Amino acid sequence: MAASSIAARPGIVLEHRPWWRSRMTIVAAIVGAMVICHLTLSRTLSWPDSLVWHSLTHYLDNIQNWLAAESAKTDPNFAYRLIHWISSGLDALVRWLYHLLSSWLTWPGTTLLGGLLAWRFGGRRAAVIMVGSFASFAALGLWDDSMQTLALMLVAVALSLLVGVPLGIVAGRSDRFNGLITPVLDAMQIVPAFAYLMPVVIFFSVGPAAAVITTMVYSVPPAVRITALGIRSVPANTVEAALALGSTKRQLLWKVQLPLARRLLLLSVNQTILFALSMVVIAGLINTEGGLGAPVTNGLNSDPALAILAGVAIVVMAIALDRVTEAIAERTDTAKRHLDVAGRKRARLATGAVFLSIAVAAILGHLLSAGSAYTRWTAQDWLRTQVQNALDYVQKPTTFLFKDITNPVGNFLVAHMLQPLDTFLVETPWFITLAGLAAIAFVLSGLRPATTTILMFALIGAIGEWQDAMDTFSQVLVATAIAVAIGIVLGVLAAEIPWVSRAIRPVNDVLQTLPQLVYVIPFVYIFPISYVPGLIASVLYAFPVVVRLVERGVRDVAPETVEAAGAFGATRLQTLVKVKIPLARDAIMLGINQGIIMVLAVVVIAGLVGSGALGYAVAAGLQRGQFGIGVVASIAILAMGIALDRVTRGNRSAAKGGRS
Amino acid sequence: MRQSASSNGHRHSGPPLIKADGIWKIFGRNADKVVGTPDADLPRSELRAKTGCVAAVRDVSFDVYPGEVFVVMGLSGSGKSTLVRTLIRLIEPTAGRIELDGRDVTAASHDELLQLRRHTSSMVFQHFGLLAHRTVLDNVAFGLEVQGVSKAQRHARAGEVLKLVGLEDAASQFPSELSGGMQQRVGLARAFAVDPKVLLYDEPFSALDPLIRRDMQDEVIRLQEETGKTTVFITHDLPEALRLGDRIAIMRDGRIVQLGTPEELVGSPADEYVENFVRDIPRSHVLTLRWIMREARAGEEDGPRLDVATTVRNAVPVIASSERPCCAVDDGRIVGVVDKDAVLTAIAGEE
Ligand SMILES: Nc1ncnc2c1ncn2[C@@H]1O[C@H](COP(=O)(O)OP(=O)(O)O)[C@@H](O)[C@H]1O
Ligand SMILES: [Mg+2]
Repeated sequence: MAASSIAARPGIVLEHRPWWRSRMTIVAAIVGAMVICHLTLSRTLSWPDSLVWHSLTHYLDNIQNWLAAESAKTDPNFAYRLIHWISSGLDALVRWLYHLLSSWLTWPGTTLLGGLLAWRFGGRRAAVIMVGSFASFAALGLWDDSMQTLALMLVAVALSLLVGVPLGIVAGRSDRFNGLITPVLDAMQIVPAFAYLMPVVIFFSVGPAAAVITTMVYSVPPAVRITALGIRSVPANTVEAALALGSTKRQLLWKVQLPLARRLLLLSVNQTILFALSMVVIAGLINTEGGLGAPVTNGLNSDPALAILAGVAIVVMAIALDRVTEAIAERTDTAKRHLDVAGRKRARLATGAVFLSIAVAAILGHLLSAGSAYTRWTAQDWLRTQVQNALDYVQKPTTFLFKDITNPVGNFLVAHMLQPLDTFLVETPWFITLAGLAAIAFVLSGLRPATTTILMFALIGAIGEWQDAMDTFSQVLVATAIAVAIGIVLGVLAAEIPWVSRAIRPVNDVLQTLPQLVYVIPFVYIFPISYVPGLIASVLYAFPVVVRLVERGVRDVAPETVEAAGAFGATRLQTLVKVKIPLARDAIMLGINQGIIMVLAVVVIAGLVGSGALGYAVAAGLQRGQFGIGVVASIAILAMGIALDRVTRGNRSAAKGGRS
Repeated sequence: MRQSASSNGHRHSGPPLIKADGIWKIFGRNADKVVGTPDADLPRSELRAKTGCVAAVRDVSFDVYPGEVFVVMGLSGSGKSTLVRTLIRLIEPTAGRIELDGRDVTAASHDELLQLRRHTSSMVFQHFGLLAHRTVLDNVAFGLEVQGVSKAQRHARAGEVLKLVGLEDAASQFPSELSGGMQQRVGLARAFAVDPKVLLYDEPFSALDPLIRRDMQDEVIRLQEETGKTTVFITHDLPEALRLGDRIAIMRDGRIVQLGTPEELVGSPADEYVENFVRDIPRSHVLTLRWIMREARAGEEDGPRLDVATTVRNAVPVIASSERPCCAVDDGRIVGVVDKDAVLTAIAGEE
């Protein structure tokens, strides 16, 4: 073991290039050249109108019209009927589940259902968390919305697993299929949710079905990936032993691979739930039947305090489901729990008792006419007043917080970072910008990513989104720079100092379970300055990932290498700067890659709250039913996502290739 | 090099149970285009440089007779694991023919192959390959379970076999709760539970401590004596090979460089490679009287009698204390004589 890891390490040879050939210097030179062009050339050379494909919007509107026409016919064609069948089926499923939770079980029954199931499979702590979360939905006065969201999430999660787990099993057993599906999954996760809202709405119109599909696009990939990982993590010698005894493929799957992949399968359930929940708010935009997303989005302008309460409810739901599924995964591990015959019988009795008491609670609920949704004695009004007071305080121009912190910081960000960059990108002649970006992509990651960059940005220009895209792009760049800077500093500190790591972890956990838009809400009030809320929200959303990857990268540097550096008398700082950070380069690059994609996702969502640009076009398209416009902006977001991903990811593979 | 297994006195009952004839295994793209061309005879590294293929097993043939323990020995990477896996097509051989219990494995259909793996052979692995989510009892019963044997029956049988390996108290434990040696006992029990005709061991004790390894070898010898199973045993440890094997095949770079009884290997190594292996083995511990005896001359039949399979070491006290050359007998018949000179030469050859 030790021998192989020592043997593997010396392969890492850091590049030694003269300073004038270092990548950063070349990039700086390119940027310098772009600035010179920007200053000297005429400033009116934005993407030429003659190069824009104006009729695209028109064609897209036609698709919508075609669908509308088909729906009016008495005998619509097959494609329409299929879409309609899926859409109405999903609608019915979500509605049915909502009715089950709400009108049939009523709130006492539902609470008991959640609590007792958590108790039976996850233990006492899980039950307390579950009941606590239901109690807080009630206390927040958001019971009904919470049940809507819960129903939607359960359907989306169940379907994601239904689709994702079998695909993951196939991907786990076949390298070819794995190779085919991986880029598809990548694409599903790179594309900001905002970009596929429009197409989904066109095909499924607004309602639960569209919300389920939107959620699934995001929550199927983790189900597939983690399941495949689980199948692949089954030790090869165990598989071989089972085959040697004459197992068929099917016996191998059911008796060996699935049971041994159990932990990861349950993790895939857990992750699918969290991914699905992070889409609640966005799904709320296109689900007209209530849920926690609606108060968030509507409340942003009209009732911010309520929006924040709904945000809290979402967070509570996310944390509760996360902890409970984790507890269940832990407790039902057969290799850890020895159940004799009596124990098994007791467990079965307990399960029976659970369902009996749920039935009793539901019947009692009906008899005592407890009402389907909990409405009595909520703390909503009181909480709203408190939150509103806090918001008022934050926004009052005379307070210390506003006058001395948020206002100057916000203004600085806008005046000295966002605006100059935006002006630079928008007003530099388009061909200079395009050539400069491609050259940077080439220097950073090679020919193919550079080609992708040219194609994608040309596409953005051709569909007439150049200006908005440059706007969004400047926000993404600034936010990524800040997130990566914070992430690297904190990540390195966390890797070096144990208590920093301990302090950061829970913060990271919470930040990562929050749905994207929930971040934005508070900052709309705390930093009510043009693009700043979106900017800060995207930094907050992205930096935990950078921290985590950097921390792991720095930690994972081989102890032998660190020891050797110490033996040569390197100080701790020298070891860090000269050994650990350079060796953690791959992890840091991966952090930048993930960070930039997450920033893009939030920056476009922030279009909803006034960050303008591409996100605004999608939001406007949604709200006013201008589908063509929305879809065109979506395509631009998608193109930018692909370009950014390829350029930052290409760097990773280039770094690997250069070393081996 | 003396061939033929009959020279060690081991008696074959009937035709071979395992017949391997010209097996090749080449990993890599276009592997099937290498066999039969001059490329196939290139050294491994050259073949790899030229075609990108790795020749793991090259033109290997051998027969294993019922009740025999056939050991395959070689350095790591010499192709032993690949060879043993081709026998039940856990790895598809690139060329060659394999017969197991009279059936052609290479031509077997998917179902025939399953039946073969279920009823004819069993395998014990270096890293145990136990199912972490099942109790010891269910691990041992696994082979019967995939055959479709009812739960009560397979648990009864698994219990029996666990007793055989001395693990009856661990039946309800999980593999992770057992020591390495105990885990491999479970592996042994699992292999024996289906009562196979052929047992395949792939370096089963390499992952164990030396002391436990010795214990486990004793266990295998005991089980072998009790059940008389035909066995193919892979190892890279020569003492282990000599202890267990009726015949030993030594592999190098995918080929068998020598195949013979322990004393044939020790007494007349085929080349430097084998010689390096056997150099440190005390010859007198392995060579038997058969190896050093000469024709009996008239009048020599009255010396002390010793079985022809006695090792030189064990014969020394008798021969040393006798004035006359010692007679080697096989089945009550004198087949040769051994004098002090022969013994001294055999022992001297050790240095
Ligand atoms: N699946 C495989 N693909 C390519 N090469 C392999 C594969 N399995 C084994 N080899 C190669 O075949 C050779 C023999 O391997 P193996 O049979 O495992 O040797 P041993 O068991 O004697 O250590 C080695 O050089 C090994 O690298
Ligand atoms: Mg091996």
